[in-house]
Amino acid sequence: MKLELGCIKIRDIMFADKSEIRDGILYVNAKELEQIVLEDEQISAVGFDIARPGESVRITPVKDVIQPRAKVEGGGDMFPGVVTKVATVGSGKTHVLDGAAVVTVGKIVGFQEGIIDMTGIGADYTPFSKTNNLVVDFSPKENLTAHEYEKAIRVAGLKVAYALGKLGVNHTPDETKVYEYSSIIEGSKLYPDLPRVGYVMMLQSQGLLHDTYVYGVDMKLSLTTMLSPTEVMDGAILSGNCVSACDKNTTYHHQNNPVIEDLFAEHGKTLNFAAMIITNENVFLADKERSSDWSAKLVDYLDLDGVIISQEGFGNPDTDLIMNCVKIEKTGTKTVIITDEYAGREGTSQSLADADPLADALVTAGNANQVITLPKIDRVIGTLDYTEKIAGGFAGSLEADGSITVEIQAITGATNELGFNHMSAR
Amino acid sequence: MELLITNNPLAKSMLNEKYEVIHINSDLVGVLIYCRNKIHEGHKLLTHPLSGSIKPNENPYKSVILSKKTKETDTQSVKIIEEAIITAKKFPKIHINPQYDEDYRMIDVSLVVRE
Repeated sequence: MKLELGCIKIRDIMFADKSEIRDGILYVNAKELEQIVLEDEQISAVGFDIARPGESVRITPVKDVIQPRAKVEGGGDMFPGVVTKVATVGSGKTHVLDGAAVVTVGKIVGFQEGIIDMTGIGADYTPFSKTNNLVVDFSPKENLTAHEYEKAIRVAGLKVAYALGKLGVNHTPDETKVYEYSSIIEGSKLYPDLPRVGYVMMLQSQGLLHDTYVYGVDMKLSLTTMLSPTEVMDGAILSGNCVSACDKNTTYHHQNNPVIEDLFAEHGKTLNFAAMIITNENVFLADKERSSDWSAKLVDYLDLDGVIISQEGFGNPDTDLIMNCVKIEKTGTKTVIITDEYAGREGTSQSLADADPLADALVTAGNANQVITLPKIDRVIGTLDYTEKIAGGFAGSLEADGSITVEIQAITGATNELGFNHMSAR
Repeated sequence: MELLITNNPLAKSMLNEKYEVIHINSDLVGVLIYCRNKIHEGHKLLTHPLSGSIKPNENPYKSVILSKKTKETDTQSVKIIEEAIITAKKFPKIHINPQYDEDYRMIDVSLVVRE
């Protein structure tokens, strides 16, 4: 399977009468997008705003972040099974509006998460302070249930990103990246001397505000399965996870998964990127046992030498993480896990809610309990009404001058467990 | 019948036909300690006590499903509940706004209902 990603560099977003891309600027006709969103009768109103890198803007509470993309050649189309029909994606050509993002905000429940600061110290902690963001704020029809509202927002955000992505279909990309994925046997013949490395990606699948969709399927209803990493780049995995802002995977993270990116970069050089496995993180312990059994069975069946496991979220997914790690290690396959830590504000408490001596190779994405004071910002997109209610916020979090003292877990993507971060420690 | 240990009135009203519901007036740690005692009596954990990624100090409601009583104490359940109690105690208490009670209750129930 071969996918060419054509990146069209976007350096700004502006509102205009005509939606188009010209000289690296994404012009957006908000009226057109409004019509697309209001096709769903469950949404009563929608507002659009623009947040650019360096501006004194705070976006909160963030629901999802999506990169505009569209297929140019190859089977299927973007966000299959949700926005477009079910068809296998991951081959041919895809155009990406690189530098642009759709950020959705809205009140689904009374306690809210997710801050993106476009400037100041908070901006260092989120990758979405570096993108030009079209912020979409939805209002639901009255008497909508939380489940209905969540779905309406999730799908509407994807529709907006898809509509913007299609503007790039006839443009010549500024840069093209090629990703080629071989069959198991072909890969082994091509690289007989390289270690066969797989990627086990864990996906949130617990319930309302904690779900992930694969080709439109609610992942908590699926067994552990496989797909091509290029399918992920074409929107096969979509976020329905609005909680745990720091360590959830937004749709943007899925589209730009750095573990996949790095494994492709080393493919054929230091390793053979042989397989990608996706598994869930369910609440029922029997599901955890079954899914981790399946991860280990697939790893064993594929005869992998090593596996990278990435977690999503915190708390009970620590149990899934350790189950996956231990069972895979027992097949004779080496593992490295990627997680984040809740080690208390001093950083001295136990970091994970589970552990095992076999989990002896770990990459951490940071301590989510670390406290930070975000300075006053001139303009807020969304609302600060829920600031004391966001994860990592606490009574008194919001100061009279508009500054906020929070744990970094309140910041979207701060300790993302795919390693999609800009900060590191040496 | 399997047990549902909860401090969530909504879980009690929605799930009392499916489970033997034991409603206790307690905070999160109290629910977990009650579960630990039942585990030592021979009940197994069926759902993870730290279900949900909303942090333990954010949502005051918690529902945990336990198996029918068995003759032996399940060591994995003991390990998980002990780790959960340590984790839950680690989070500082925050002010919970009663205005959002309905939302907290609904999220808690959604985590222990599969469909």
